[in-house]
Amino acid sequence: MRSRQGITELFATFLQFDADRVIGWATDARLRRNITNRQQKLSEPENSEDFWVSYWYKEWQSQKQNLASGHLSAYLQEVCYWAANKTATHFSSGQFTLSDCFQAIVTKTDKVLQGFKPDMGFNIKNYASAIFSSELKELLRQQKEVDISTDWRLLRKVTQKRLVESLENAGLNPQNVQSYVLAWKSYQALYAPRKEKGTRKLSRPDDAVWESIANLYNQERQTQLAQPGPESNAETIEKCLIASAKAIRAYLYPNMASLNATTGDNSGEFQDILPQLRQDSLLSEIVVQEEIEERKSQQSQISDVLIAAINELDKEGQNILKCYYQGNKKQSQIAKELGVKQYTISRRLTKCKDTLLIKLATWTKESMHISLDSSVLDYMSTVLEEWLQNYYKPENVN
Amino acid sequence: MTTDLETLSINNPTNLWLEIPENQQTNIWEKSQAFSTDNRRWMAYLNNLSLKTFLPWFKEEYAQNAKVFPNSATLPSIWEVTNGTGISFNGKKLVLIPSEALDISELRVPQEWVDIPNWSADYYLAVQVNVEESYIRIWGYTSQANLKNKGTYDANEKAYCLDKQHLISNLSILSIAAQLCPEEITKTETATLAELSTTQADNLITRLGNSQLINPRQAIPFPMWGALLENGAWRQGLYEQRQGMSRQWSIRQWMQNGVSEAARQFGWAAVDLRPSFEGSRGTAAPAQLPTLIRKITISGAEYELLVKPKGEIQNRTWRFELRPATVGEMIPVGVKLMLLTEDLQPFDGNQAQAKKPVERLYVDIALGEDEEGLVWKTEPVSDDYDYEALYL
Repeated sequence: MRSRQGITELFATFLQFDADRVIGWATDARLRRNITNRQQKLSEPENSEDFWVSYWYKEWQSQKQNLASGHLSAYLQEVCYWAANKTATHFSSGQFTLSDCFQAIVTKTDKVLQGFKPDMGFNIKNYASAIFSSELKELLRQQKEVDISTDWRLLRKVTQKRLVESLENAGLNPQNVQSYVLAWKSYQALYAPRKEKGTRKLSRPDDAVWESIANLYNQERQTQLAQPGPESNAETIEKCLIASAKAIRAYLYPNMASLNATTGDNSGEFQDILPQLRQDSLLSEIVVQEEIEERKSQQSQISDVLIAAINELDKEGQNILKCYYQGNKKQSQIAKELGVKQYTISRRLTKCKDTLLIKLATWTKESMHISLDSSVLDYMSTVLEEWLQNYYKPENVN
Repeated sequence: MTTDLETLSINNPTNLWLEIPENQQTNIWEKSQAFSTDNRRWMAYLNNLSLKTFLPWFKEEYAQNAKVFPNSATLPSIWEVTNGTGISFNGKKLVLIPSEALDISELRVPQEWVDIPNWSADYYLAVQVNVEESYIRIWGYTSQANLKNKGTYDANEKAYCLDKQHLISNLSILSIAAQLCPEEITKTETATLAELSTTQADNLITRLGNSQLINPRQAIPFPMWGALLENGAWRQGLYEQRQGMSRQWSIRQWMQNGVSEAARQFGWAAVDLRPSFEGSRGTAAPAQLPTLIRKITISGAEYELLVKPKGEIQNRTWRFELRPATVGEMIPVGVKLMLLTEDLQPFDGNQAQAKKPVERLYVDIALGEDEEGLVWKTEPVSDDYDYEALYL
């Protein structure tokens, strides 16, 4: 994969795959025009990557309905690619190609943008990488389990939220979605495995159970549905649940073709780029510049804080972190080498990470004046994990 | 096929992954049988697996004093009607909310765990259970305040729902946040529930106790439902009725047939103590009536709660007595034993309090013709306490 050169490429091109191979970068004309447009409005062309990340992120935050998310999505293509690459090699059973993995998670860019907290000083690539990998692993794990479960078992293994999304994705109207959900609830209330294990092959409920599911549905529809709709019977209820299971599976395996158009060139409609007042853009230019300087120094300070914190851990702790992240060793392996039980390693590892998190959070609070709460801490813990992986990457270690 | 838990945990290192104790799964399944439907049985099983896996870990890592809320014996009565398992620790409470959903996209907390004042918790933990691969995974948690602020209420389901992005994915933060940002608000006030009379409660239990009614929690308005459940005696009554069991808490029956299995779960037993107590009378009682006894712990000290008829059972006069489990120990000043009606109302002569250290406290009560339910209680409240009614 060729790395991209220049701002226009970085923020306006998307990876192209042929089967499982990257064949190059494709430019999104609309995004390219947008960048040219914006560059012209600046006092002089801006070639700093960080500048444009901040710039688009700010714009994304302010309006949401603009091209900013497209630019950031373009920017995060490599991160997404490497996350897919790493995960596909390590975890996928081979059923999914690199391209599949990439396509499946590139759609999570919105999640990255929503979760990203620029004030925390970590750069967006770190955060994106953490989110992309965990989303992909989650997805692969789900697919694996879904593949070996019968429809009847699968129907007990979704959240209501996911069911609704799947049904909407399958094109059901809101009223139908409601009645399908009620059918699903009635099913869950009356059919469950009857043994403690070996339940993946859960078979179809027998006719009597279908009768009772239909009965329950018919009672509940009076109070639970905005429009009670027609009475159901065993047969229609069963059809409805089979369709739901199908929708759930389909939703988990998105149609790759439809995902290729990440931003889509909306039939040559470019008028949404409104000329801004020159003053405005100059002002935001300065603000963005100042922020970048600040962020850069924050990022290196954060690293200093974390490295210092690692060095303050006792030797055993440092050793475990190193084995775990750098040697990519399993806890059980580390335990063997150090002659202790595996749970000791897992516990030490958690304690070490907690210590680092506490130090980082305390520093952030004191030096960056960020008020802490659980969600800020959670964010830090996510990025810390990614930071550790990078820090101990063989190429970063002498 | 068993999956290496470690491989799984590498997949998401901020979540907590715990192995279900190997030899326990079958055992837990066998103990999760007394429920009205396959679904309730299955949900009870998932709750029990979560509890038995999580609690030992939590005690070891976080809070030695952590224990089941309100107590283990009462769990079936909760699981029969709703999802979730309470754990109290350090004056706080958390609730495990198990689910088998593969997509961890939302947490649904039944309203009972949020809006029943006594049950309302500080934290709710999203637990993914995988029975095939024998592990549980705590994939996130939320404080009650966050659940109420950021979550939505599903009126059909009577549940508070919170999207994944609003959950905290790393359980370590539970204690780190308490340390670094103690000012963070985790809990808000709960609204008060309806007040139910004994008659109302009896009617509700009869109606909702029909196991053909699949969703009793959705059949009546929440303030009434919450009030019915908060009272452990009524909740137990509802549970027993839904199992088609006859009344398990009739003292008259205990006297004849021995203490019921249900009550034994709560720690009740019958012992023959009469001779030593009634000795002064000198007349050997023709029918040896047993004394009912239950061990309780108050402020770290062991006690016995005794219930026995005074004289003939036909007299319908009963003594409730509290005494230290160890002979020679005294009940300290201030400890109180009291009896309440089923709807938790006090009445004349319903209590006895230690004004000086005493060997025992007792309340004698003469009842009318009809069988009546009485709820016992102590102050300070005994450990693992939940309202429990005896029918005399």
